[in-house]
Amino acid sequence: MSGQGLTGLSTLSRRLVALGVLAWCLITAFPLYWVVVTAFKTPPGVVGGPTYIPFVDFTPTLQPFIDLYQGIRGEFFRTFLNSTIVGLSAAAMATAIGAMAAYALVRFEFRVRLGAGLIFFLLALGGYLLFSNNLGFTRAQALLLAFPIALVIAIIANRLPLPGPILGNEDILFWFVSQRMFPPIVTAFALYLLYTEIGRLGFQLIDSYVGLTLCYVAFSLPIVVWLMRDFFEAIPIEVEEAAMVDNVPSWRIFLGIVVPMSMNGLLATFMITLAFVWNEFLFALFLTNSKWQTLPILVAGQNSQRGDEWWAISAAALVAIIPMMIMAGLLSRMMRSGLLLGAIK
Amino acid sequence: MMRNDPIKHVFIWPAVLVVLAISIFPLIYSFTTSFLSYRLIPPIPPRVVWFGNYVTLLQEPRFWNAILTTTLIAFIAVGLQYVIGFGVALALNARVPGERLFRVALLLPMLLAPVAVALVARMIFNPTMGPLNQLLSTFGLANLPFLTNGHWALGCIIAVEIWQWTPFVILMMLAGLQTLPEDVYEAAELENASAWQQFWGITFPMMLPISAAVVFIRLIESYKIMDTVFVMTGGGPGVDTETLTLFAYQEGFKKFNLGYTSALSFLFLIAITIIGVTYLALLRPHLEKRR
Repeated sequence: MSGQGLTGLSTLSRRLVALGVLAWCLITAFPLYWVVVTAFKTPPGVVGGPTYIPFVDFTPTLQPFIDLYQGIRGEFFRTFLNSTIVGLSAAAMATAIGAMAAYALVRFEFRVRLGAGLIFFLLALGGYLLFSNNLGFTRAQALLLAFPIALVIAIIANRLPLPGPILGNEDILFWFVSQRMFPPIVTAFALYLLYTEIGRLGFQLIDSYVGLTLCYVAFSLPIVVWLMRDFFEAIPIEVEEAAMVDNVPSWRIFLGIVVPMSMNGLLATFMITLAFVWNEFLFALFLTNSKWQTLPILVAGQNSQRGDEWWAISAAALVAIIPMMIMAGLLSRMMRSGLLLGAIK
Repeated sequence: MMRNDPIKHVFIWPAVLVVLAISIFPLIYSFTTSFLSYRLIPPIPPRVVWFGNYVTLLQEPRFWNAILTTTLIAFIAVGLQYVIGFGVALALNARVPGERLFRVALLLPMLLAPVAVALVARMIFNPTMGPLNQLLSTFGLANLPFLTNGHWALGCIIAVEIWQWTPFVILMMLAGLQTLPEDVYEAAELENASAWQQFWGITFPMMLPISAAVVFIRLIESYKIMDTVFVMTGGGPGVDTETLTLFAYQEGFKKFNLGYTSALSFLFLIAITIIGVTYLALLRPHLEKRR
């Protein structure tokens, strides 16, 4: 770390700068402090106007948390469990699949013809319209039929000498990352319709574990691929080359050498993905309604359910926040060892 | 070195398949739906209206209002995030006393659920029970209608966005600052360049590529804003703080107007693409000059 920037400043201005940073930290900390103290207040302690310091201004109580656990304001325990299950499994799957793709993009060469991509898109679109409008399939059936047909034809077309540019690894990476640019409402709404249609075929995806997790895996993949590519690129290739000389198969190089070497990166990526899934609101809003509801939906609903009962709302918000607070502590420890900084750059 | 081994397909296909299935697939579906007049409530059989939905939308004042609101929130919030974030990052990079302590605190907000943050904001901005209005009272100022007046509500949402996402800017800028070469500064030191000159002459230009990337990411993400607004104001008062995503949600999920909502989400996609491309086109000459 270089000490530039402030070297030319006097002690006074150094103090002023420190004061500015401190002010920002206070601004950051105050809302957090507020939610923690409010969660331990009794109703009179809230309604009577703002109170600040426990034991001085008000007597702290555990009642809001007991109410939560007993499920007075919605099935909190179950929702917490849902969030944990969906979050952990989606993050684990996204990290695994994404790391594999990232490794492939770093170490192997891919060539995709733009023509083949266009063929895929046009065939999927055209096939869907044909099947649904002219051949009397339902919309979901038409999509499910058109998709594999278009994919197979596009893969075959990729081998043919089509005119047009050839896309390489960088373009594939860009395609992955650009998925993140899409406004999620486009996909969330379409996915809701699609899941409903598939549900009519007797395969329930709305408000189900599979539907929600699958959607979260897909939406975490861009970040995972992006982050993991940097971690893999930082690994010296000599180790892998040495293994290749000994004719170790690629999958064993990956599992036996690359994965252990980038364990920290994988862990950091897993945690960032977990935070993303844990906090996600829009998809959960569209794709769940009761059984697989996640914490953000329940927390958002607290407000309208019974009015301004801030003590209970704070307790609910706190439960949703605490796992992420622990995560922030862990991540900042990794950050201090310079690990994440390398990845972000 | 690039290897070529058939096993590469095993590595990449799971990810490609999942992304194709979950994001391209619905895209085709909603693209075709956007040309239909298709409602679930009351159930009317779908009818092809071609660009009818798009035309109706473009004439709808509520749609333009949503675009304006979203743009205001995105640009003001990201601008302030960048200024504050860059400032704090510079200070942290210069080893301000107590810098270690700040790091956890700085990482925290962006890991918290926006929904929970918005609820806490509601408490703080509460007109009678919130600490903010009490503070104003102690100074003898009038209490403010934080969430019930359109302009103030917009300001509050922007404030929450800044609170939550400035840490992201700090983190990225700090990472960027630590890659800057030290010898340039030593040379500037010899020439007796002031800290101010050093910043505008060296730090800012060298940080331009990463700044561009950070602002781009934040801008695109800010356009998607939904959960904060949903909880804090619900788009109200009236439709004063309704963002594009919230508008689409109301139309699609409350009225089940499928064709209309699909058209809306496609217009949104086009708008985001235009903003993204314009932004990159505007910045490209600056970025290339510096390399």
